[in-house]
Amino acid sequence: MTGGISKRIYKIQFALLSPEEIRKMSQVKVITADTYDDDGYPIERGLMDLHMGVIEPGLKCATCGGKVDECPGHFGHIELAMPVVHIGFIKELKTLLDATCKACGKIKLTDDEIRSYREKFDQLSLSTSDPEIIGLMSKKVTDEASQRMVCPHCGTQQTKIILDKPTTFREEGIKVTPKEIRERMERIPDDHLVFFGLNSEVARPEWMVLTVLPVPPINVRPSITLETGERSEDDLTHKLVDIIRISQRLRESRDNGSPQLIIEDLWDLLQFHVTTYFDNQTAGIPPARHRSGRALKTLVQRLKGKEGRFRSNLSGKRVNFSARTVISPEPFLSINEVGVPEKAARELTVPVTVNVFNVESIREFVKRGPEPRDEFGKYLAGVNYIIRPDGRRIKLTAQNAEENSKRIEPGWVVERQLTEGDIVLFNRQPSLHRMSMMGHTVRILDGQTFRFNLAVCTPYNADFDGDEMNLHIIQKEEARAEARIIMKVQEQIMSPRFGGPIIGGIHDHITSLFLLTHNNPLIPEDETVHILSYLDIESMPEPVIQDGKKFYAGRDIFSLILPKGLNLQFTSKLCTGAKEKCEYENDPADKLVYIVDGKMLHGTIDEAAIGSFSGEIIDKIFRKYGPAETARFIDRMTRLAVGFISVRGFSTGISDYDIPESAISRIAEISAQAIDRATKLIETYRQGQLQPAPGRSVEDTLEIEILSTTGMVRDESGKIASAYLGLNNPSVIMARSGARAKMLNISEVAGMVGQQSVRGGRLNRGYYGRTLPHFKVNDIGALARGFVQSSYKEGLNPLEYFMHSIGGREGLVDIAVRTSRSGYMQRRLINAFEDLKVDDDLRVQDTIGAVIQFKYGEDGVDPTRSDRGETVDVDYNAFDLEQEAEQ
Amino acid sequence: MTVILFKDTKKNMETLKKKAPCKYAVDAEISADITDAYITTDKKFFTYRLRLTGTQEFKPSDEIILKNKNEMKTVLLVDSSQLIDPMPLSQFRKKGKKIQEFADFDIVELPTIKIEEKPAYRDTLPQDVRDVLEIASKKKMGIPVSIAEKLVKYRKDLSPEKFEELIDRIGDDLKKKSIDPHEAVGIIAAQSIGEPGTQMTMRTFHFAGVREMNVTLGLPRLIEIVDARRIPSTPSMTVYLKPEFEENEEVVMKVVKELENTTILDVASIITDIQQMTLAIKPEPSRMKERLVNTQDLIDALAKMKGITIMNQDDSEIILKPQQESYKRLYQVQENLKTTTIKGIQGIKRAIARIDPPTKKWILYTQGSNLREVLEVDEVDANRTYTNDIIEISTVLGVEAARNAIFNEALRTLSEQGLEVDKRHLMLVADMMTFGGSVRAVGRQGISGRKSSVLARAAFEITTKHLLRAGLLGEVDPLTGVAENIIVGQPITLGTGAVNLVYRPSGKSQ
Repeated sequence: MTGGISKRIYKIQFALLSPEEIRKMSQVKVITADTYDDDGYPIERGLMDLHMGVIEPGLKCATCGGKVDECPGHFGHIELAMPVVHIGFIKELKTLLDATCKACGKIKLTDDEIRSYREKFDQLSLSTSDPEIIGLMSKKVTDEASQRMVCPHCGTQQTKIILDKPTTFREEGIKVTPKEIRERMERIPDDHLVFFGLNSEVARPEWMVLTVLPVPPINVRPSITLETGERSEDDLTHKLVDIIRISQRLRESRDNGSPQLIIEDLWDLLQFHVTTYFDNQTAGIPPARHRSGRALKTLVQRLKGKEGRFRSNLSGKRVNFSARTVISPEPFLSINEVGVPEKAARELTVPVTVNVFNVESIREFVKRGPEPRDEFGKYLAGVNYIIRPDGRRIKLTAQNAEENSKRIEPGWVVERQLTEGDIVLFNRQPSLHRMSMMGHTVRILDGQTFRFNLAVCTPYNADFDGDEMNLHIIQKEEARAEARIIMKVQEQIMSPRFGGPIIGGIHDHITSLFLLTHNNPLIPEDETVHILSYLDIESMPEPVIQDGKKFYAGRDIFSLILPKGLNLQFTSKLCTGAKEKCEYENDPADKLVYIVDGKMLHGTIDEAAIGSFSGEIIDKIFRKYGPAETARFIDRMTRLAVGFISVRGFSTGISDYDIPESAISRIAEISAQAIDRATKLIETYRQGQLQPAPGRSVEDTLEIEILSTTGMVRDESGKIASAYLGLNNPSVIMARSGARAKMLNISEVAGMVGQQSVRGGRLNRGYYGRTLPHFKVNDIGALARGFVQSSYKEGLNPLEYFMHSIGGREGLVDIAVRTSRSGYMQRRLINAFEDLKVDDDLRVQDTIGAVIQFKYGEDGVDPTRSDRGETVDVDYNAFDLEQEAEQ
Repeated sequence: MTVILFKDTKKNMETLKKKAPCKYAVDAEISADITDAYITTDKKFFTYRLRLTGTQEFKPSDEIILKNKNEMKTVLLVDSSQLIDPMPLSQFRKKGKKIQEFADFDIVELPTIKIEEKPAYRDTLPQDVRDVLEIASKKKMGIPVSIAEKLVKYRKDLSPEKFEELIDRIGDDLKKKSIDPHEAVGIIAAQSIGEPGTQMTMRTFHFAGVREMNVTLGLPRLIEIVDARRIPSTPSMTVYLKPEFEENEEVVMKVVKELENTTILDVASIITDIQQMTLAIKPEPSRMKERLVNTQDLIDALAKMKGITIMNQDDSEIILKPQQESYKRLYQVQENLKTTTIKGIQGIKRAIARIDPPTKKWILYTQGSNLREVLEVDEVDANRTYTNDIIEISTVLGVEAARNAIFNEALRTLSEQGLEVDKRHLMLVADMMTFGGSVRAVGRQGISGRKSSVLARAAFEITTKHLLRAGLLGEVDPLTGVAENIIVGQPITLGTGAVNLVYRPSGKSQ
């Protein structure tokens, strides 16, 4: 646990195991197929021999003397009665048999060829380490050698060897036994192995034919005891039992001089068992099954795939010191904080090493026991475990706290419960980008859920409809420092994806500040004081006196949270695209949001100012004042927004979508016209007079024409509806400010839902020639193909509802397909790019030192710090400079 | 420059090369002013070049190398013979037009290419931009040209002191913005491209620019790009004409006709008369018009076919007959006719010309792609013409062009979906896919399959294959990457894991 010299593994060398090596590393030669005797004690020289490790508490390993957690496990071995081939190397054995002489074992190349190819291989091994290229070269050479039918060395006539999949080799119809194969392999000289891509230092071809089988340690194949007391063995143990049994029978039959036929059958059976022991999904072999009929999980199955050892246990590991629960919002927390329920905090601990400086205070800590509270009954951090220098853990209880506090000395480790201010990692899956796991400081709260500021929903892509999130407690000082400096939420405000803020106001924050600043409303003094009591402001802004009463202007209130010295000018979302004067603003000057020296003079705050992804103010504050100030701004901004909207009130309802009768009938009129137009188009088409668009069939042209007609009428109805829905309408406020929804959604509610589509075209599937039996066959009119005339407010008739559901389902299917496809793409991208890094000279390198880019991104600029991709924002720098000079 | 082209055997060429200078007899009359001859062995690529000093009339003699056995006419005095990089037929021209086919002998022109030294990029910039760069470099700041261009405006507007101040500020800004050494840029790039994937549409088809043309967009297209597919699902080209033709509708239509691959079946129906053993081709006027084909084109195409005789022809019907009278032949001819191209370039299924409204210039869009041959068309502006087939760009224009194509295609795909992704991430992806000299896919056959670490490969896909092979080869895993270090449980070598802090207690010998 304590630090010191940290060792690194320098390299890992892969090799084949030779029979000698297997015997050497084996602690026991397993000869009995049985596991335990009647008393439940492992049988000696059986598959559960104590020499191979222990899994039962109380027993000691016969090899190393270790107990359950101490003994790493040891290998045993089985001597196979007859050799069998290794299923993983069948292809290699085939090439080796093909390309070497059956008599002398040399590769079937002339001496000259051998010399010249060897040179090539030598060069190749110097220039590349890529096994793929060496593989290609050796394939070429071995193919050439396989073609020769007479050995150039000894002149023996060769015979063709056929691989009878999966494991049988035949030579002119006669089976070549593994024994024979092994003998041939033994004859191949060491210096000819290069041509087969074999490294003679670590691999001999005869080792691909097994004579000895290593038996994995018991820890690898633990048996489990069921509640009934029955023992259930691991799949590998089952397989090994089979192998030993058959091997023994084979040995007996051979020694007894049984008929050749029986021996061969048994030999094949042994081959089957050894093959399935390695890979139970070999093509051409029925998988070995458990008694219950379930296919056994043998070695290859243990490693392979998503649930295999590599991806499930080695690349990703389970961790301790973590918690998971439902999340809920808490606007009074800072974006840097996370609310942790007391129950979780009591379980999660941070190790503190006792030293001469903190020994006294730690003793006090320990004395408090595992569940301390202060005089008001509030949570205080306690201690759960004490770890002695020898590694023994002592569970602290209220009873032994006092006593244990006295025993503590420097060098001990105390596992302290979570306390306010601890830094923890907080994560929501799927973890698609680095902002999916950020550092938060802990606040202990009542309740059962994790809580955080709403502005942090965006990076986690979280909402509160039942989402759960994970919390990880950092156990090392080094990691804590990194979490504070690199991973903390405030450090992650800028997204590396596009160089803008990913954390900012959402939904009601935007609505609220829009209402606060649009047309600069006057807020009565009492309300202002109430709202501002949520913020720690130093002084009130200048009041506006009207009718003898004190009021405060909305923009002045907003200016309170802006840092001094901030100069900014940008177009609000509301006025995007406006020319001289913005149609939604009374004052032409309000087209631009204008902030000078931290004072907002003009404009309206909306999504473009404080929204996540787009917030211009957040962006500029981050660049000028850094993360801490930005975090403070977002904290205060969200509090101000929540405060104001609570006081003012904001709500929308069905009556907000009321439009005058005249508008409704106008919409009905144009939709009837559209249907007419579609019918006329169809008529023209039926008469064969429709002119096809270039490169399109007549049918396609008709579809496009109808689609554009119905599309147009939807837009038109939207226009009619929104003419009656102004900026005093709550839904329009939300849409125009960018808080939620688009104008399109409003026109769907008030005006018309419009054409439904599947795969970009009108609905056309269902019954023969029609979507529903309510229509005539081959009716391709607007209504029969999913045109919805009604609005959501009005309500859809059953036919329309059906059509709408068809369109809706496509969306659902789309999402399901998309998540899996994009998930796999991202996995591949990450895997291909994970090793790239920037070096000291801003070059991009991979692990072997190949240079991918000579200057990262051609300008060496970090995308996170770039101005939305630009190297530097010259215009803003000039603007800011000018403003600063004026002040 | 007039040159002659020959076909000859490889064996002859070898002897020519060994014996040069020597005499070489050919079966055509050649004037004495030709100095170069190019020789092909396969009628497609010219691989030998002869330098000539003159010609003589042919007289039999022992020392002359003969092109073939009889009817020799001229003897070429060969000075030297050399093996050259294969030159395609299209490099040569005959009376100003590129030649399509080659017999055994031809007199053609080889357009000489002048190679001019390109001025340094910096020297091509306007003077005021260069001045700004000069000022910046005096301050030891390396600013990008795009920034310098923007600064030019401020140099005019601001006082020199103010401008100085601005430059200093930008210098500071640049320094602050520099990427941190050891940053895991690869992972960031992968996340930045992968994360918005969930927000993209799956809708395969969409109209891009032209209503009539379908192009794959969104997530499927992005996957296609990183996969480096041999053939994209919707190959298409944007063809620009040389500036002088861009507004000329007549030329545009001619080019459209030249590009669009039209088969007989596209414009006519084929009727087989089994009794008469004849085939009738009935052109359909509307389709002929749409495809810009006339009956003469049709007849020309038929004339090139072998083994048929045209019996009768008028505007409404062409009747032809196989030369051999058998049902088998009849059937074969009918099948052949279906796919006989009247005109156009192979692979270009459709070509549509559109006027670009702001500039009033014509742009051609095609369905299907064949960059190599489209670039050969004289009116086409090879500098701007573009295809979305990355692999084709790689083979025709080289790997650097493919790198740019990957970058542009990915950028376009993402921005069309309204997703903002920093260009640097896409550059890294494009560079990583191409830095090895060929386009490699992101995935197990490409980048991930070529990793140096056994463990990293095993952890990705096809676990057992990699482990077994590692044993045979005695591979060594140096544990330098991320995946393998996570597997063995030690710190990774990126970011803060890439640096070591060493404490040397004072007092000890240094």
